[in-house]
Amino acid sequence: MKCALLSNVNVESIARQIERHEVHIAQGYGVWTQELADPASGTFGFGPSSVFLIIDGAELLRGERGLGPVLADVDEHLAWIERAAERSPGVKFFVSTVDVSARTLRPLKEEHAERRLEEHWNTRIARASASHANIYVFDLKEMVAQMGRSLLYSNKRWYLGGLRFSTAGEKLIAQELERILDAQRVARKKCLLLDLDNTLWGGVVGEDGVEGIQLSETGEGARFRDFQIRIRELGRMGIILGIVSKNNEADALEVFERHEHMVLRKGDFALMKINWSTKAQNIAELAQDLDIGMDSIVFIDDNPVEREAIRTALPEVTVPEFPTDSCELTSFLERVYKECFFTLESTEEDRKRTEAYLANAKRAAERTAAPSIEEFLSGLRTKVFLTRARDEDFGRAAQLTQKTNQFNLTTRRYTEQELRTLQTTPGAAVFIASVADKYGDNGKVLVSILRRVAPGTAELDTFLMSCRVLGRFIEDQILDHLVKNLRADGVSRLRVQFIPTRKNAPARSFIERLHGGLLVSDDEPGAQTWEFDISKASPVTKPSYAELLTKPVHVAEVVS
Amino acid sequence: MKERLIAIVAAALRVPTSALTLETGPGDLEAWDSLAQINVVSEIEAEFLVSIPVEQVAEIRHIRDFLGYLEKTP
Repeated sequence: MKCALLSNVNVESIARQIERHEVHIAQGYGVWTQELADPASGTFGFGPSSVFLIIDGAELLRGERGLGPVLADVDEHLAWIERAAERSPGVKFFVSTVDVSARTLRPLKEEHAERRLEEHWNTRIARASASHANIYVFDLKEMVAQMGRSLLYSNKRWYLGGLRFSTAGEKLIAQELERILDAQRVARKKCLLLDLDNTLWGGVVGEDGVEGIQLSETGEGARFRDFQIRIRELGRMGIILGIVSKNNEADALEVFERHEHMVLRKGDFALMKINWSTKAQNIAELAQDLDIGMDSIVFIDDNPVEREAIRTALPEVTVPEFPTDSCELTSFLERVYKECFFTLESTEEDRKRTEAYLANAKRAAERTAAPSIEEFLSGLRTKVFLTRARDEDFGRAAQLTQKTNQFNLTTRRYTEQELRTLQTTPGAAVFIASVADKYGDNGKVLVSILRRVAPGTAELDTFLMSCRVLGRFIEDQILDHLVKNLRADGVSRLRVQFIPTRKNAPARSFIERLHGGLLVSDDEPGAQTWEFDISKASPVTKPSYAELLTKPVHVAEVVS
Repeated sequence: MKERLIAIVAAALRVPTSALTLETGPGDLEAWDSLAQINVVSEIEAEFLVSIPVEQVAEIRHIRDFLGYLEKTP
């Protein structure tokens, strides 16, 4: 893009920083109104598609004049800008707001000329922008407010070379200029996909329930509400919003339907993929349904493993890092907006885009094959540490039995004391596993309780795992390990119970992928007991992706 | 300190570090004009957390002079 910079201070150093675009600056920096007034000036002769006016407020006040003449000058300057814009309708004019720091020493009661000048200029250019399609506000005042005068300005550079801004200030301004120029050339992203738990609200709805998640008008839960407000604004600018979440769909939808502090509603989203498939698969399907390229998608998820999975499987999708402090969610989204969705203006068509895509999606029926995730799972370098629950483990183990609803075969709740007793009961054993990967330690996430029910027969009384490590087949690997140990110690049959609840769909899909089971009873409504002959083969069909570390696990001692 | 200094000057001038020695100074390179000299001073001030008085800026002829200044400053 060709652009011209006009200013009442020296902006050559800013111009030098703009590398992706051709920049013209007027010779001499007091001449900006002349340049605007003359259709044959160097500025217009250059043929720019954008003209930036970077106006230094303090310079407007130059000279020992009263405020009246200064404001009259402002009106005249603005009139020149408007005339130039009217004369060149194909050129976009970006006019800065001004910041005027109070330099005059004066009694408190005396009129504050700097503030008056600022207000006058900023009001007038907002008005000019509203009445002229090709005049835009370049919000320099906001940049000053964000960075602070002491950092954005530099006295030394001013005295040495008429450079008003510090090098940091110039970088910020140059960055904004480039953002505006890029926005006219590079297509912005079209679609924002969001996770739910710990992203749109705090906590895990499948575990905490609709009432238990963090989301409120004020207080801590407001960080998620404010985040949702910003997301809705993106939606109104024509960004297609979608949900990609590993959850029970009913649980998640209940939040959208029932939670009084939800800002985003089902209708704000073109598509929702709430299921237990991999997110890569869901995103691939979603892109096909919406008929958009992977390179127009931005994916936001609080879980680093999910982010890395998408970066690996779908490298064209933009996956911003998620803030570690959820108080920063709104400023995070402002950054995402600037980097991915920034636009000079949004059209009626933009605003209707979500509806249009929604209609397209309904027509689309084809499903793409998901990219393979095996490579990704191996790349996580997951380490699982499995042990019989020790003294220090019972507190967490009890908590897991109390809280875990999703991957939980039997949903039996135990107290810490009950687990301690079980551990010392002949014929019973409590196991706990922790999981770590290249992103860090997930802590103790899996509990398994085995009981001897008949000679040579063991039963899986409890098998549960926190959903934060779901989808990595760790549960399969642990069951496989327990089975091998049982077999080595002469146990030939394993009974696995599954008691369905409203929330444990992930446990059902686990049961369904086990191999070789015989359904021995299904007397309770929906409850099933499967029996596996483990004397020769393991019921586990999935390959292992993690490294399993164990203290010697003497399963046999207690269950055979 | 010498490498750090040359790296900062190179970045401020947008030239490779190989284009600079301690004896390079304002006017030796096309990129090092009077405007670039102000940027060089600003970046060195920011990097080393010093403030070089205007009087001394005028006396700087070579990168070595910055080194001399920085070594004298506590």
